Amino acid sequence: MTALPPTLPARAADSGLFTLFARRFREHRLAVGSLLVLCLLATLAAAAPLAEYVLGLDANKVDLAQRLAPASLAHPLGTDELGRDLLLRLLHGGQVSLLVGITAALASAVIGTIIGLLAGYHGGKLDAILMRCTDGVIALPLLPLLIVLAAVDLTKIGLPESLARDADVSLYRMVVIIALVSWTTVARLVRGAALSLREREYVLAAVSSGAGPFRIMAVHILPNVVSPIIVATTLSVGNVILLESVLSFLGLGIQPPIASWGNMLTGSQELIWSAPALVFWPGALIFLTVIAFNFLGDGLQDALDPRALSR
Amino acid sequence: MTRYIVQRLGESIIVIALMSFLIYALIALMPGDPIDLMINSDPRLTPADAARLRAVYGLDRPLMERYLSWAGAALSGDFGNSRLHVRPVLDVMPGYLLNSVNLMVLSFILSVAIAIPAGVYAALRQNTRVDHVINLLCFAGISVPAFWLALMLIILFAVMFPILPASGINSIGGGGFLDTARHLVLPVATLTVFSIGSYTRFMRAAMIEVLRQDYIRTARAKGASENRVVWIHGLRNAMIPVVTVIALSFGTLFSGALITETMFAYPGMGKLIFDSIMGNDYNMALVTLLFATAVTLAANLLADIAYAWLDPRISYDGGGQA
Amino acid sequence: MSTAPLLEVTDLTKHFPVGGGWLGRGAGRVHALNGISFSLHAGRTVALVGESGCGKTTAARTITRLYRPDHGRVLFKGEDLASLSGTALKSARRAVQMIFQDPFGSLNPRLPVATIIAEPLVIHGGVDRAEQRRRVADVMARVGLDPRDGDRYPHEFSGGQRQRIAIARALIIEPDLIIADEPLSALDVSIQAQIMNLLKDIRDERGLAFLFITHDLAVVDHFANDVAVMYLGHIVEMASRESLFAHPRHPYTRALIDAVPVPGAGKRPRGRAIGGDVPSPIDMPPGCPFHPRCPRAIAACSTIPPKLNPVAADSGHAVACHNPEPEPAP
Repeated sequence: MTALPPTLPARAADSGLFTLFARRFREHRLAVGSLLVLCLLATLAAAAPLAEYVLGLDANKVDLAQRLAPASLAHPLGTDELGRDLLLRLLHGGQVSLLVGITAALASAVIGTIIGLLAGYHGGKLDAILMRCTDGVIALPLLPLLIVLAAVDLTKIGLPESLARDADVSLYRMVVIIALVSWTTVARLVRGAALSLREREYVLAAVSSGAGPFRIMAVHILPNVVSPIIVATTLSVGNVILLESVLSFLGLGIQPPIASWGNMLTGSQELIWSAPALVFWPGALIFLTVIAFNFLGDGLQDALDPRALSR
Repeated sequence: MTRYIVQRLGESIIVIALMSFLIYALIALMPGDPIDLMINSDPRLTPADAARLRAVYGLDRPLMERYLSWAGAALSGDFGNSRLHVRPVLDVMPGYLLNSVNLMVLSFILSVAIAIPAGVYAALRQNTRVDHVINLLCFAGISVPAFWLALMLIILFAVMFPILPASGINSIGGGGFLDTARHLVLPVATLTVFSIGSYTRFMRAAMIEVLRQDYIRTARAKGASENRVVWIHGLRNAMIPVVTVIALSFGTLFSGALITETMFAYPGMGKLIFDSIMGNDYNMALVTLLFATAVTLAANLLADIAYAWLDPRISYDGGGQA
Repeated sequence: MSTAPLLEVTDLTKHFPVGGGWLGRGAGRVHALNGISFSLHAGRTVALVGESGCGKTTAARTITRLYRPDHGRVLFKGEDLASLSGTALKSARRAVQMIFQDPFGSLNPRLPVATIIAEPLVIHGGVDRAEQRRRVADVMARVGLDPRDGDRYPHEFSGGQRQRIAIARALIIEPDLIIADEPLSALDVSIQAQIMNLLKDIRDERGLAFLFITHDLAVVDHFANDVAVMYLGHIVEMASRESLFAHPRHPYTRALIDAVPVPGAGKRPRGRAIGGDVPSPIDMPPGCPFHPRCPRAIAACSTIPPKLNPVAADSGHAVACHNPEPEPAP
């Protein structure tokens, strides 16, 4: 390796690590397949406006003359109980589910990372207090709590009426409340890693050179815990999507007319006799998306975990 | 050990106290208040009447003050009346609780009875086709939205092939053991699918970890039979983390029960929580939510104690772990 | 020595709580450092010698304020490091750099070595990027690394090269004092001599002061001006290198010196090994910490802790012992 020109070895080493990761990831065929499925879903969801243009339809346009129409050229998957095109609503719902899932997972990763770093690096009383809080949040019955949080009247905490009733706000509200309860996994991971990393000599070397806590955390600790954070965040996207869909299904999540896979199933109990396909598609897509994120996370874990080498 | 348990109990009580305030505050933030509901049901009430009523019920007082007076009454055993049931909250709960216990215990036994052998088997046949299939099924179970699974089961077994009831706990006018059992099939199936995937994966992971340990190799080297190695040496040690994880998953099971009971109109605690929140039944919502929190905390505490008890290497009485 | 010392450590004490306990309340304490005192003048080298677990690493880390001392003072250029904090501590740290034992653990695996070496410059600021790069290249060349290897990562270097990287990082900010905590013990024997010579050359050409922590008296003989011998958190003997090797007064020092293999003189020339094990630093023996293992112990040793007192013959030589080895014949 020393015989190589000076700048090459670094890149070679970098790409060496990356190739190793890529090879191990590729071995996980389910994860690779899942990644492809997710890319396809994301592309289709992003192409929803294009589909609307091609079909000459609007996903939110109610057409009572066309209620529960069967599949046709005009409506490739038929229409729902209000005569809206099912395919377009599924695509729009996909946008919402993926957007909320990824945003809330990232937000909870950020919260968890900050709390975990503070607790693990600072240690002592702050650590004890933050970890008690984390244990407390983990011990809460998740769904009932989310239902209460989703039911909170935003005007009572000072939001103007027009804003509180806005359907778009339901999107942000979902992201916020789900992030508020799902940061604990990342927090525990990061705290554990920070606790052991802060005793490493390279961290001590930086401290003894005068590096402040912010620099230590950002330069020396965070880069060394990125892999587990990525894995946990990927796995939590699936969970978030499940939570969002059940809340939306219960009428507490994403508000109509915005379509989400969850709220497309609201009231579907009345349709189980007349239009089972309407009940099938949104849930099947939730299922597909969530399982794809879980396989992806599993594959990333195997590929990023150094212990996986020995298995 | 005793000191550890007492300390953890103390912490749990603090968490419950904090949660009771949090839930109280959140419920106060939900749309409407009891007076709004009265105004809705009696159009003759004027805004002046409403203000006077708020004063009578103490709703004009600050949140903390109202909470403290609620907590004072609660500590003396008075949790108020349910608005929807028009009875004291504590009279309503037991029936629902019993139904939930039936549902959850049945589903718990079923999932553990399947998950443990399946997990052990997958661990022994690591990276074979069987292992892959079990893994795939686990992921499917973890990833399926429970409410949609319930809908699909209803469509399949109550609509397309009408062999099972789609909702409730007894047929109208019916009853008896068989009828109740038939009503339990779909809810129990849904709740079992909800939890079995993660149990199996934990069992498999714990077993693989244990089978790599030196004492398993020693047992094999000594010539112990494979069955003995797996079931006596292996499973017993692998159960330690699994028991903890299963107990820790109790909060999740509660969430699953809420969805399942709501989907099948099964009158259990989960449905009671959901209905009371949606129906502005404040007293009921408060008590049921707190109850769910307390039960989850108790399960976590039991998990930790079981862990300490099963694993003699862990000392909780301070010292000795330098 | 009439000038004020560069570093003056007085009665430095550090205990660690042991065991869990809620919110960090400990059940016992490890007496890692029990009131050590010594001083170090500019350009000189003091070696802190002792077996593993004697508190020498704790001493190094407490002096650099990686640990907060429970008691005592660390005067560096007249400022008490033990009581500084915030920006004052940061600027004081500029002049004191550390080299650690494990060259695999002391370099962040995620950073290219040029970034690692430049870190002290970045932390203390005031140097632009071009200057940074120039100084990194200079210091890499000085410690015997190819400056063109700056964008490689630590795992691509051997143990000896990594220790050179750690030395470069310590040198780049031009400190007055380097604290080296067993910088050789993780290296192959063949590499140790190279690194030793590198440290010596750099010390001599830059007039650096060194606090050199080691368990190996043979290394001390090559490098140190003064030697302090530690046992269970106490300094038991302190002297110039010549005086200590020629006339060790503490039985523990004597045993350590006797244990050093002398080439061509058989395995243990005056073979007097110490029996027994080092007592636990949690349950410290009363009196002299060494008395349970001491071949010269007398009654007072088990009750009265000995003080570090100068010996009559040599004012620079001090020993903490009730019954020291006899003085050399004049």
